[in-house]
Amino acid sequence: MNNIYLPQLVTIEDIYEEAPDVRSFRLVFKDKFLRDSFEFKTGQFGLYSAFGLGESTFCIASSPTRKGYIQCTFRRSGRVTGGLYDLSIGDTMGFRGPYGNCFPMDEWKGKDLVFIAGGIGLPPVRSVIWNVLDRREDFGKVTIVYGAKTVADLVYKNELEHWEARNDVRLVQTVDPGGETPGWKGKIGFVPAILEETATSAENAIAVMCGPPIMIKYVLNALGKLGFADEDVYTTLENKMKCGVGKCGRCNVGDIYICKEGPVYTAVEVKRMYNDF
Amino acid sequence: MPDNFLKRRDIGKLIASVRDAGGRFVAPALAARQAVYKDISSAEELDDDYILPRNSYKELVFPQTEVIADFTIGKDGVGLKGRDVTGRDTVVFGARPCEAASLESLRSVFTWGFIDEFCTKREDRLVVITIACTKADGACFCTTVDLSPKSVTGSDVALSETDAGDYLVHSVSEKGKAFIAKHSDVFKAKPSADAVVKPIIMPERIKGVDLEKIKKFLSDTAHYENPVWPELTRKCIGCGACTYVCPTCHCFDITDEATAYGGKTPFEGERRKNWDACQFDNFTLHASGHNPRDTQFKRWRNRFMCKFNYYPKKFSSKGCVGCGRCIRVCPVRLDITEVMEAISKRP
Ligand SMILES: Cc1cc2nc3c(=O)[nH]c(=O)nc-3n(C[C@H](O)[C@H](O)[C@H](O)COP(=O)(O)OP(=O)(O)OC[C@H]3O[C@@H](n4cnc5c(N)ncnc54)[C@H](O)[C@@H]3O)c2cc1C
Ligand code: SF4
Ligand code: SF4
Ligand code: FES
Repeated sequence: MNNIYLPQLVTIEDIYEEAPDVRSFRLVFKDKFLRDSFEFKTGQFGLYSAFGLGESTFCIASSPTRKGYIQCTFRRSGRVTGGLYDLSIGDTMGFRGPYGNCFPMDEWKGKDLVFIAGGIGLPPVRSVIWNVLDRREDFGKVTIVYGAKTVADLVYKNELEHWEARNDVRLVQTVDPGGETPGWKGKIGFVPAILEETATSAENAIAVMCGPPIMIKYVLNALGKLGFADEDVYTTLENKMKCGVGKCGRCNVGDIYICKEGPVYTAVEVKRMYNDF
Repeated sequence: MPDNFLKRRDIGKLIASVRDAGGRFVAPALAARQAVYKDISSAEELDDDYILPRNSYKELVFPQTEVIADFTIGKDGVGLKGRDVTGRDTVVFGARPCEAASLESLRSVFTWGFIDEFCTKREDRLVVITIACTKADGACFCTTVDLSPKSVTGSDVALSETDAGDYLVHSVSEKGKAFIAKHSDVFKAKPSADAVVKPIIMPERIKGVDLEKIKKFLSDTAHYENPVWPELTRKCIGCGACTYVCPTCHCFDITDEATAYGGKTPFEGERRKNWDACQFDNFTLHASGHNPRDTQFKRWRNRFMCKFNYYPKKFSSKGCVGCGRCIRVCPVRLDITEVMEAISKRP
């Protein structure tokens, strides 16, 4: 029988401390065939199991251009994520997926890209960023605007340094007022305002954003002011999920099931949705 | 013209032959002083007086709880094994036509893209025998949602009762035909000449309900801000009872139950799929504390939307079959037909 709820076993090959309470796992399928054949697209997500506690939904934060493993980044925030947080390198956990739709990256060839992320919203965007950087010549200018509450809360610090150092990427980092440290060289302010300051051109450009609902709302305004048309603005939505496959009935925003029809949407689609966020 | 005839006194034989072949025979019988669908082994257990069993027979394909996988966590790692469902030949006898119409709704969700074989494998082996209603109560409103005690949608074999308590038999589906052929010793070829069919009851259509208007109202996203929602549904206490008895409600949770967790102690456990309800406040609660449906009227609105917008629009099937169970069970007397009427009145 085909059991759609049965996870695959994966081994934690490496663990990275990203921020207080935030960790990344590098995961490898135990099954050799799956390890070689597993495919996913940027924007898709999975259900990760801590056996005995349950499942949690995270995006696949690695890029499909990097084969042989997947990476997830999560914040310890409850039962399952707490259990996962306690696991060590070499431990086994569960994964099922990939689920959901993806960013239409092939349509973006030749365009400028601006990425906007807040806090733990960077992982889904990271998958797009590495996908772009791994075939850099396909795309135009790359701008990344990333913010968190405090300096400590910025995730992927090593990668931020790497992006900062590259001359084919413009990285603007910011922290909320009061979240800065004495040596902080980035900006101080909320993401939407900092985004406006960057004066990024909307000409032949695509914007990709992810963050808490309140940030999304204001970033949409800011992008509008910069001249971005709604059809060129992409985001990935989150909701409480259990099944991930359109059955359990809890991830819907009005008539739209995020797990099955999302999680990637354009701003045009988001604005058409029922106010059920 | 009926295809066959079933004598009341032969039902015992039918039960025996289904059960002898390893099958389940489910029919309305008394439990906790009310008619419910349950496994029976003799005709004496049948309730003669029921209008509609208290529970929905959706639990035959979508049980309240079931194990989907077992795991063991030990010194040598993790063992994980998914459960299989082969299904068991199951007959539900004496189902009502409203409810039969709901099975294809459940199926439409459980086969949407990904196929939940826990559900489909059971349904494949389920034979639904409906009996046209000769009685109804004040909560029945099938005719208002375009069904009737005469509908045969979702039924495999449709019966109508005679004055003598026997049944005229109509085979509706291929599954039903095969079932009748298999049990030809009880399904007699010809009705007796003097068989008189009892009059079928027709619940009156609720005049104030206009399904087209409801559909239009719900498809305009602006209706979310309409004060009609908090006004009409404020009294809901969010107990979820309406969802558990509803034949089309399909929401569930996935949870682990383990003997222990944490530390270095080996443990084992199972992963389960359990009924859940969109009426509960933690149903959509994010780990951040944010909850998109943070007040009860929003949860009730979702339930209504599911019935009259998501099901018809997404799955081209009925979200509400008018069985009235949610009305009978509601502790605060929130009547879904009153909401339907109120919305039909909106300009
Ligand atoms: C498509 C998608 C992608 C995602 N990607 C990521 C990602 O990449 N990284 C990431 O970290 N997260 C991501 N999330 C969010 C992530 O799924 C949740 O944060 C996580 O599942 C919750 O953790 P948990 O299972 O440990 O929480 P649970 O154990 O389920 O605990 C959360 C539950 O605890 C209770 N609870 C929690 N807080 C409160 C409160 N304040 N008040 C009352 N009750 C409360 C509620 O019942 C809540 O549902 C994503 C979600 C989706 C849908
Ligand atoms: S909503 Fe109420 S009346 Fe309609 S099918 Fe469900 S339980 Fe029956
Ligand atoms: S049965 Fe009544 S009170 Fe309980 S959740 Fe349903 S509508 Fe609300
Ligand atoms: S997560 Fe179950 S329906 Fe979307």
